[in-house]
Amino acid sequence: MVKSVPLVAKAAAVVLLAFLALYMLVPIIVVAGASLSESRFLAFPPTGLSLEWYVVALTSDVYLGPLQTSLLIAVVAAVIAATLGTAAALAVTRFPLPFSGAIQSFLLSPLIVPTIIMGIGTLTLVSVIGQGPDLWVLVVVHAVLGIPYVMRTVTGVMARSDRFTEEAARTLGAGTWSRYRFVVLPMARPGIVAGAFFAFNISFDDAVIALFLRTPQLETLPIAIYGRLEFSTDPSVAAVSTLMVLITVVTMIALEKAIGLGKAFV
Amino acid sequence: MSTLTISSIRKSFKGTEVLRGIDLTIESGSFVSLLGPSGCGKTTLLRCIAGLETPSSGQILIGGDDVTALAPERRRLGMMFQSYALFPHMTVLENVRFGLRMRADRSVAEQRKAARDALEVVRMEGYADRLPTQLSGGQQQRVALARAIAPEPRVLLLDEPLSNLDARLRDDMQIELVELHRRLGLTTVFVTHDQHEAMTMSDTVVLLNDGSVEQVGEPEDIYRRPATHFAADFIGAANMIAGEATAQGIRLDGVPGDALPRPDNATNGRGSLVVRTESIVVGHSPATGYDSAAPVTVLTSVFRGAEVIYVVELAGQRVKVTAPANVPIVPAGAAVASWASSEAFWLSETTVLTHER
Repeated sequence: MVKSVPLVAKAAAVVLLAFLALYMLVPIIVVAGASLSESRFLAFPPTGLSLEWYVVALTSDVYLGPLQTSLLIAVVAAVIAATLGTAAALAVTRFPLPFSGAIQSFLLSPLIVPTIIMGIGTLTLVSVIGQGPDLWVLVVVHAVLGIPYVMRTVTGVMARSDRFTEEAARTLGAGTWSRYRFVVLPMARPGIVAGAFFAFNISFDDAVIALFLRTPQLETLPIAIYGRLEFSTDPSVAAVSTLMVLITVVTMIALEKAIGLGKAFV
Repeated sequence: MSTLTISSIRKSFKGTEVLRGIDLTIESGSFVSLLGPSGCGKTTLLRCIAGLETPSSGQILIGGDDVTALAPERRRLGMMFQSYALFPHMTVLENVRFGLRMRADRSVAEQRKAARDALEVVRMEGYADRLPTQLSGGQQQRVALARAIAPEPRVLLLDEPLSNLDARLRDDMQIELVELHRRLGLTTVFVTHDQHEAMTMSDTVVLLNDGSVEQVGEPEDIYRRPATHFAADFIGAANMIAGEATAQGIRLDGVPGDALPRPDNATNGRGSLVVRTESIVVGHSPATGYDSAAPVTVLTSVFRGAEVIYVVELAGQRVKVTAPANVPIVPAGAAVASWASSEAFWLSETTVLTHER
């Protein structure tokens, strides 16, 4: 099969892939490069080579507080999204629910609603009915954003799995609880973890909604970076940004090693 | 004992009746095949026995207990699925141990021991630590079988377990399943659409058609004495030649000359003479040792290695003949078909009517 692909097409594919990789990597390379600079100004290529701005980033309260806030929000939002998204995915794939198509579309809708609308809507809502935004409001909105990702990955894994495994478990004496505990959830696990990872990233990365809901007590890392950039241009911003990328990459590699994240996308 | 009794089981899906009142008794320790074309309800019946479908009405008893309303997980049956349905995240040993683990009436060590024993029965003991995805189709199937028998089920249910295997492996597995059944003496219900499979493997064949039992009998019985047109047609290759039975003998429509000898079971009146393809001999003259003969025209012959298939015309009706390939092939044109009336039998139109409704 592969042999029959003409050489020209292969070469074109390689060139296209190279450009695609470059297109995605260049901004990260620039930021990572700038973070290593000795200079007090954000510049690329870096002048000199030092890790001094990483020290600044990791010791300064400007970033540490927001980093903790961001991690807390992202982890809790991811856990909520994974729980609800998995339940919803199992419900729509395993049971003949009335309006299951409508339910699915509704739960997937955060994918197409612009985040700016979500931000304005949430701000208006919490201002009208509550005391304004706080950390838990952001957790809830981020969880809502994460649910569609979990639903997609779990639905994908379940659709590919043999639907008779549950019946096999029943004939072997497994009641409802055991069936979920020992068969359904372990089979869905690659999808759950991949979805949770996406949900974590969506939350950790979100600047738009966090911007609308920011208060002096509620500042996430992207907002802190943005705020810092407004007033100063030292490379600590680049150092923090590079750390954000590293956290994502390390999480992804760890998950791949632990459960084979790739399984969710076969 | 685990005699399985099925009485007046009906099942409808969205207004369509898939099972139209099935009555069946499956003796403890027997190997019974549910045989029929796709859509005849055989798998639905098996799933009703397993508890995976709830019959619309009727009763299922296992060893005298009414299990009709019992959940599948409490019926203590073993079932093997067409797709094997192994748990992909568990090793072979954990798959096989699953049923014992759910029952939790022995220590983990004893469960493992029993699971290993079951793997040994299917000769897969060397694969205990593999994952199902690392096994071939035939190996997965053995594991699925071991998983079904490990918890010592009251009845073993097999849903077309051989249909995903290639021809050679299927032949081997047929023999192995029969041997396993002899060794363990498990009451076994086997669903298949393949009449050869049903014939070779079972003590009793239950022929299903359109949600009803068409005929129940030993393989040879069903093969030699099909009760209905459908049975004659579905089980092996049989020719049905329309005619009339009288006191003098059988007169086939459009065949001139004397009446042919009557098969033992013939009753006077219109009906069909049923002759199996392999019971007919085609030659240039009536064959010696056969008491019936009729002129035919050979239309085509197909060489199939060990045998030759003829399609001949007998008084306007097409008739198939299977002949051994070690005799010279009769060329197309006029010939004579011969058969022994003791090998043929009579299906009168009244029996056909009562069975086909």
